[in-house]
Amino acid sequence: MEPEPNNNASGSGNPKEEATLKVPSKDPKKKDDKKDEDLSEEDLALKQQLELYVERVQDADQGLQKVALESMRQEIRTSTSSMTSVPKPLKFLRPHYGTLKSFYETMPDSDLKKLLADILSVLALTMSAEGDRESLKYRLLGSEGDIGSWGHEYVRNLAGEIAQEYAKRVNEEATVDDLIELVEQIVAFHMKHNAEPEAVDLLMEVEFLDLLVKHVDKANYKRTCLYLTSSARYLPGPDDMSVLDIAYTIYTKFEEFPSALQIALYLDNMQHVKQVFTSCPDLLRKKQFCYILARQGISFELDEEMCADDDDREALQEIINNTKLSEGYLTLARDIEVMEPKSPEDIYKAHLLDGRASAGASVDSARQNLAATFVNAFVNAGFGQDKLMTVPSEAASGGSSGNWLFKNKEHGKASAAASLGMILLWDVDAGLAQIDKYFHSNDNHVIAGALLGVGVVNCGIKNDCDPALALLADYLDKEDSSIRIGAITGLGLAYAGTQNEQIRDKLSPILGDPKAPLDVIAFTAIALGLVYVGSCNEDVAQAIIFALMDRSEADLGEPLTRLLPLGLGLLYLGKQDSVEATAEVSKTFNEKIRKYCDMTLLSCAYAGTGNVLKVQHFLGQCAQHLEKGSETFQGPAVLGIAMVAMAEELGLDMAIRSLEHLLQYGEQNIRKAVPLALGLLCISNPKVHVMDTLSRLSHDADTEVAMAAVISLGLIGAGTNNARIAGMLRNLSSYYYKEASLLFCVRIAQGFVHMGKGLLTLAPYHSERFLLSPTALAGLVVLLHACLDMKAIILGKYHYVLYFVVLAMQPRMLLTVDENLKPLSVPVRVGQAVDVVGQAGRPKTITGFQTHSTPVLLAAGDRAELATEKYIPLSPILEGFVILKENPDYREEA
Amino acid sequence: MPTVSVKWQKELYRDVEIDTTQPPYVFKCQLFDLTGVPPERQKIVTKGGLLKDDSDWSKMGVKEGQRLMMMGTADEIVNAPEKSPVFMEDLPEEEQVVAVGHSAGLFNLGNTCYMNSTVQCLHSVPELKSALIEYPQSGRSNELDQSSHLLTVATRDLFSELDKNAKPVAPMQFWMVLRKKYPQFGQLHNGSFMQQDAEECWTQILYTLSQALRRPSSSENLDTVKGIFGIDLISRVHCAESGEESSETESVYSLKCHISHEVNHLHEGLKHGLKSELEKVSPALGRSATYLKESHINGLPRYLTIQFVRFFWKRESNQKAKILRKVDYPLELDIFDLCSEDLRKQLEAPRQMLRDEEGRKAGLKLKEKTPTSVDNDVKMSEAEGSSEKKMCLTGVYDLVAVLTHKGRSADSGHYVAWVKQENGKWIEFDDDNPIPQREEDITKLSGGGDWHMAYICMYKARTISM
Repeated sequence: MEPEPNNNASGSGNPKEEATLKVPSKDPKKKDDKKDEDLSEEDLALKQQLELYVERVQDADQGLQKVALESMRQEIRTSTSSMTSVPKPLKFLRPHYGTLKSFYETMPDSDLKKLLADILSVLALTMSAEGDRESLKYRLLGSEGDIGSWGHEYVRNLAGEIAQEYAKRVNEEATVDDLIELVEQIVAFHMKHNAEPEAVDLLMEVEFLDLLVKHVDKANYKRTCLYLTSSARYLPGPDDMSVLDIAYTIYTKFEEFPSALQIALYLDNMQHVKQVFTSCPDLLRKKQFCYILARQGISFELDEEMCADDDDREALQEIINNTKLSEGYLTLARDIEVMEPKSPEDIYKAHLLDGRASAGASVDSARQNLAATFVNAFVNAGFGQDKLMTVPSEAASGGSSGNWLFKNKEHGKASAAASLGMILLWDVDAGLAQIDKYFHSNDNHVIAGALLGVGVVNCGIKNDCDPALALLADYLDKEDSSIRIGAITGLGLAYAGTQNEQIRDKLSPILGDPKAPLDVIAFTAIALGLVYVGSCNEDVAQAIIFALMDRSEADLGEPLTRLLPLGLGLLYLGKQDSVEATAEVSKTFNEKIRKYCDMTLLSCAYAGTGNVLKVQHFLGQCAQHLEKGSETFQGPAVLGIAMVAMAEELGLDMAIRSLEHLLQYGEQNIRKAVPLALGLLCISNPKVHVMDTLSRLSHDADTEVAMAAVISLGLIGAGTNNARIAGMLRNLSSYYYKEASLLFCVRIAQGFVHMGKGLLTLAPYHSERFLLSPTALAGLVVLLHACLDMKAIILGKYHYVLYFVVLAMQPRMLLTVDENLKPLSVPVRVGQAVDVVGQAGRPKTITGFQTHSTPVLLAAGDRAELATEKYIPLSPILEGFVILKENPDYREEA
Repeated sequence: MPTVSVKWQKELYRDVEIDTTQPPYVFKCQLFDLTGVPPERQKIVTKGGLLKDDSDWSKMGVKEGQRLMMMGTADEIVNAPEKSPVFMEDLPEEEQVVAVGHSAGLFNLGNTCYMNSTVQCLHSVPELKSALIEYPQSGRSNELDQSSHLLTVATRDLFSELDKNAKPVAPMQFWMVLRKKYPQFGQLHNGSFMQQDAEECWTQILYTLSQALRRPSSSENLDTVKGIFGIDLISRVHCAESGEESSETESVYSLKCHISHEVNHLHEGLKHGLKSELEKVSPALGRSATYLKESHINGLPRYLTIQFVRFFWKRESNQKAKILRKVDYPLELDIFDLCSEDLRKQLEAPRQMLRDEEGRKAGLKLKEKTPTSVDNDVKMSEAEGSSEKKMCLTGVYDLVAVLTHKGRSADSGHYVAWVKQENGKWIEFDDDNPIPQREEDITKLSGGGDWHMAYICMYKARTISM
């Protein structure tokens, strides 16, 4: 033992004494002797006193024993200590631990023996050898008095020994009842003393979390649940679910329903969601629940049990159906004053490029016009007006929108017509009216685009009349395959995540149709995968599996065939083990697609779980150097790393580093997937080092790597207006001015960066990065898989897969509304979120904040809090739509 | 008869009665009155799907107060424009050139960058191009030797190749013929062709072309190349010792810019180049004496070629050395003060007009602030001028092409041509790779370092119609 400086502080202030004490000595015995001599009078007295007690304890007289033990206990309990030093009585008793222990063995059973056991238990805290767990042993033999009376450190030590003992006993299948009793005492103590993490940790060790519910109270349940939910991310297997279940129970116990609802959504447990609705009596709060459900993008039908009143229920359902999303978004846009439509030229900013821009633009380039179409669609998404497609029709006969439409070539016209859907995003009434005229066109591509546009407009919005289904269903069995694809994809987008059976009945037969061309089948699989995303639906899975088995050898080599396994994978998105049966079936596939299918299924099933083992599995797959032709499965494996690891920040950073390694050692097919994986990991979150990596790759000698990097630059900056990325892309546009394909990618990326003029995000995570919207992730994954083979899909005639990104598009706003759901402007502080897990008290949750008035934009990693006491938010997380209630206790300051 | 409400776009029509005994078409006509959407374009969505004209109301199960949704607009149906746009991707390669905005590059055939850059510079002279087009394939005049004829034909073909292609051209034929005519370009060194002086190449090609492009038909036997590039000089040769003075005239294809320690700017170099000392036998003194020769320009060319005399023969090292000194040159060159008295008088009127024109442009811009209309005005006047009036030279020249050299000696390094295109954009022709450049960067090729530096500059005369 080191001599403690504290000793001196309490002892006499003799400098000479101090000097000798500070000399470290290797021989403990010598040191002890020395210390003996150097002790202050006070300490010496205490030491002698304790030695006396020890002697007395061994006395034959029980009365004397008792007095001695009690005074010893008194000494130990009253001694105060600092964090770094051992209390003096304990220190002076150390040499006698052995004596007391052996004496204990000789004692007959009595209260006195228990008293001694208590003291031994405390002494063992410093004395017992590692792994002996003597503290626990004597505690169990002792008098079982108030555990806290021996101090915090004692309790912590005991908790540690319990955990070890528990593991041992479970192994030996011995009874643990006595331990549990002790655990209960410890937990009660911890929960009373602001040590919730310790309590939770102990309960997790002994697998008895249910006990927690009894001990939480109003003061500590929030911290407890926060610790539970954040630790759940790092727990394996079913443990995380049970931990979240407990958190859910605690939240409902304290009527913190919004948080309970979030956990229910995380667990994807509709029973819990229903319970939240039934157990909350307040209509206004239910409305807030509906907003949370709407953001998650799942379909949910309210019934009478959840809301008795018909009118109220209709109002609530309307919120879930997202019908007011467009209105809220436009409120934000008006407040920020970005309603003015932007043209692609405003985005390209060619005037900043001095002479390097392409010289003669006298002739239209179909590819560049197509790029302009997409840029226009993304930039003006949801605003309802633009400069190309929605120009008032009186401007010229037929409207100049017709003119722009026909400035696109063949299949380009499909994307142009569908871009109207993007511009009028979420505004179903106006959108359908604008698209209507294209249904009567005599050009098949235009009709196909109109069908797709209907799907885009309806994306995430549900309407009682189901106009999308009514309109699109008629076109499903048309001759022309572009029209069919338009209708199928439109349905997939409009009904993503709804598990609508009508759609299944209409689409499944197409998969089995032997006459249907490959592209129709591929898009049908994707559409079904979207509609049934994360449902594990057997029937749909069967249909896709059969379609895959029916493919001819030649078909299996086509890039489009790879969309079939993806459709299958989407069914199991985030559903982990449930995929196993299907994965087993996939092993029987033709070997051309088998490995690809396996990777895709696995990556989808474990998407957003942060499962480290799966990440390692994928990394292992990527480490193989294979011959050309048999390595296509490595693309999805690389994407799989990102999909699995995107769950939490730590894993995300590790994945980014691993991807850097793949870049250095991987073959071309891996290198071209790495930028896409980086894009997914940092989607709408432009981290500087990722930006630099991608910028470097965007000049790669390999065109496919460069294209993927350029697209990913757009993805990481999506909807941020990030000036640095915008500058990089501008320079790339002049660097690649001669290479049409790369220039196209640069344009698309520019469209992404300025998506919704900077009001949108593509991040599938929301609610402070806790919840993952399955449809949003599905949309991104489809896009990324399409990007794995740029030439065949996006640069070919299936460029409209870019519209799948609409599934992930959400306003990155905080819009506060009053009790009548009308926008209400209040001051809020917006700053970088701070991790407050496991911190005691009421720590600051944001840093470097600025005060704005709502509606405000929230960047990645931002958190908002109300800057006024006048209102109470009905959701603890200020994102999206938040209802504010007037604070009844608020007094205007004089 | 149930009444329903119909939602159409953002409007809601309440209490629309349905006569269930009539076919749905009647109901659609009712809606036509309300919305103005013709029945055939109406799409009415009920719970069960679209309402068809022949469907049966009783089977639809329309309930009292149900809300129907109607889609469809009275908007005009968009039809494809009669003339569909032409896309660059569909064009044949020749027409893509126009779209690209510059002509093709030339492949390097092994140290032939001097030739490539020379060809690119000469190719930018439309007058030379049109003269070459008129050159007959077979009808060579007798005084012209075979190899000159072939070179001229090869030049013509190469120029048209360059105009036709968007992708780089390999000037094989031209290169062969050039070597045949001027064997010095075929010199080999270590088994490969040697780098040559671009200026020599330039001079030789122009000489050959001037020989070939004489018009035998015209009475004066007019030399086309001379008409384009020829500079008439009048020189006064003066001997300080004897006081003798004579005057002589000559015609050259380029002015020399001599570079000495005092020369910082092209203008100074030109002045320097027009003055020279020569030693010859003086008839008056009966011995050789130093004569001072002072030249003035007596006839302006349409294209003024200026050679920077950067290379000189260094006797000590027995090689051509290069002067790296920075000599600035302007984008707009006025050589009025290099002209002879007679020529200055001639130039005065056109120059006055030019100044007026420019003044008017500036003035107009201030007044109207509509630069487009001004541009139109100018174009208009130019167009008229060319048809009716005579174009007059003004002594003001605009830079149109620069041939640069990078490296330490004339027989090594790299030659590149920087050529202004018809659309006003500058292109750097680095062999087969045309790179767009900014106009500001063109004047930075003035030397003083190891960057490309101007070796030959070509200026185009600014004319005014009178």
